[in-house]
Amino acid sequence: MLLDARQVTMAFGAFKAVDAASVAVNAGEVLGLIGPNGAGKSTLFNCLTGDLYPTSGTVHFEGRDVTHLAPEERARLGIARTFQVPLTFGSMSVLDNVMIGAFLRHRAAAAARASALKIIADVGLGPLAHAPAKSLGTPSRKRLEIARALACEPKVLLLDEAMAGLTPAEIRTAIDLVRQIHGQGITLVIVEHIMEVIVSLADRVVVFHQGREIARGTPDEVTRNELVIEAYLGKRHARTHKRGP
Amino acid sequence: MMRRALLPGLLGALVLAYPLLVAGFPVYQRLGALVLLSAIGASAWNLIGGYAGQVSVGHAVFFGAGAYAALAGYAQFGLPPIAGAPIGAAVAILIAAAIGVPTLRLSGHYFSMATIAVAELVRVLITNWEWVGGAQGLSGPAVPRSLLDLSFTSALPYYYIFLAVLAAILLVTWRIEKSRMGFYLRAIKDSERAARSLGVAAGRCKLVALMLSAGLTALAGALYAIMFGFVDPESGCGILISVKMLIMAALGGAGLLFGPLVGALILVPLEEISNSLLGGRGAGLTFVVYGAIIVVIARFLPSGLLALFTGPTPARRPLDTEPSHAA
Repeated sequence: MLLDARQVTMAFGAFKAVDAASVAVNAGEVLGLIGPNGAGKSTLFNCLTGDLYPTSGTVHFEGRDVTHLAPEERARLGIARTFQVPLTFGSMSVLDNVMIGAFLRHRAAAAARASALKIIADVGLGPLAHAPAKSLGTPSRKRLEIARALACEPKVLLLDEAMAGLTPAEIRTAIDLVRQIHGQGITLVIVEHIMEVIVSLADRVVVFHQGREIARGTPDEVTRNELVIEAYLGKRHARTHKRGP
Repeated sequence: MMRRALLPGLLGALVLAYPLLVAGFPVYQRLGALVLLSAIGASAWNLIGGYAGQVSVGHAVFFGAGAYAALAGYAQFGLPPIAGAPIGAAVAILIAAAIGVPTLRLSGHYFSMATIAVAELVRVLITNWEWVGGAQGLSGPAVPRSLLDLSFTSALPYYYIFLAVLAAILLVTWRIEKSRMGFYLRAIKDSERAARSLGVAAGRCKLVALMLSAGLTALAGALYAIMFGFVDPESGCGILISVKMLIMAALGGAGLLFGPLVGALILVPLEEISNSLLGGRGAGLTFVVYGAIIVVIARFLPSGLLALFTGPTPARRPLDTEPSHAA
């Protein structure tokens, strides 16, 4: 097991955003975390990356307890992430943005630059390498987020709604990119709203609703699960759906 | 290549020859030295305030550590003031470490306010500390005992001493700018959260930058005390010292190598002119002028004057929607 969250609870005051969630990520797989808005998946995600420390429960990475390790220390161990709303370094070029990630494994600027340029080309941003990052549109910013995270040479990459805000055509090229990353042997955890993305990418899916896990299985299994349909569409629609055509 | 080297070469030659070109006008020699002295302080501030974006308004503490160390060494032990410079720098670095750990956790304006509070606290403490002269302050050697006292009637030697120190600071800054540390500081300025997710130990980077900045600011304080031969709580640790460093860097271009120097080139002559026109009556007016400058910078020049010429020009519209894919 590569990344393992056990009985993670994240409470904000009396409100439990995540309630005793356990999620295990196996090396080499693509795990999907889905659920309606406010289900707690992003909160759990932030507990995995160190942006939040859970109220109770533990997070292990490669058997080591990382529950209270800072994000930068987790990055060093091999956990990388993207942000739902891209946090681009706006005063820098695309290349400099990616070099920040590359510096983690390459101390010298020349080596970091070479590594960053290769990754920029891999994700299809080659022609924009020297453009100011501020000038990029949403799809390219999302790509830049991924490039930066890849530059950290991670073992596991956590994508937080990497496809949100993209057009269907853009989503298809983005799915190709994620497949290509997975092909390099990087384990993936994807938080996603868009079912099409989950179905075409994930090996296993964990479904959250109101802070709790309500289902897990293959994408096929969970999309047929009654509780899941109910959570997404409400009770009445779930019944209609069950009767089916 | 020849053409590109021409302008910097000319400017460099002008800076080197300046005191000789105005040899007949001691006032202008003194003005040149003052510009360089201010540029040293503002360049030191630029490391943490400009590059890392942690806007300190408490750098007077570090400036004061250098100025007081230089003159306390003389007043208490008869040392030449320059001997106090490394001690002042060491004290400033220790203070930076002590106040940096709690305050650098604060973001944005909260950090700025915490640094103001610390600086004012230290100023009050110094005012009540008789060993360093209390409210009266300290004086340097009235008559130079040897060359080591670095006490000259002409501003010309100061000009070249300050020029050498400024060149050294800019060289160090340039090296940092090109290194991993420089990239990390800029990343922290743009988004600390993103930087940390990419493995940047933001807390440690900011602390190192603050300590380095503090040590160099103390050096500026020591040089000030050596040239003027006098320091009191207001001239050594007053809030105006912190504010001037900040404004000079911001006006020229915070986070740019030559930004603070450009800011000093504009503000120091302005200040000298207003002082000579208004005499003693203008003391309060200085604050008004600085306030106005802050407003103008914030509204029209958030990246500073130099950014108009060298900075990355922000594109007016997105360059693309999605990079094309040759499938």
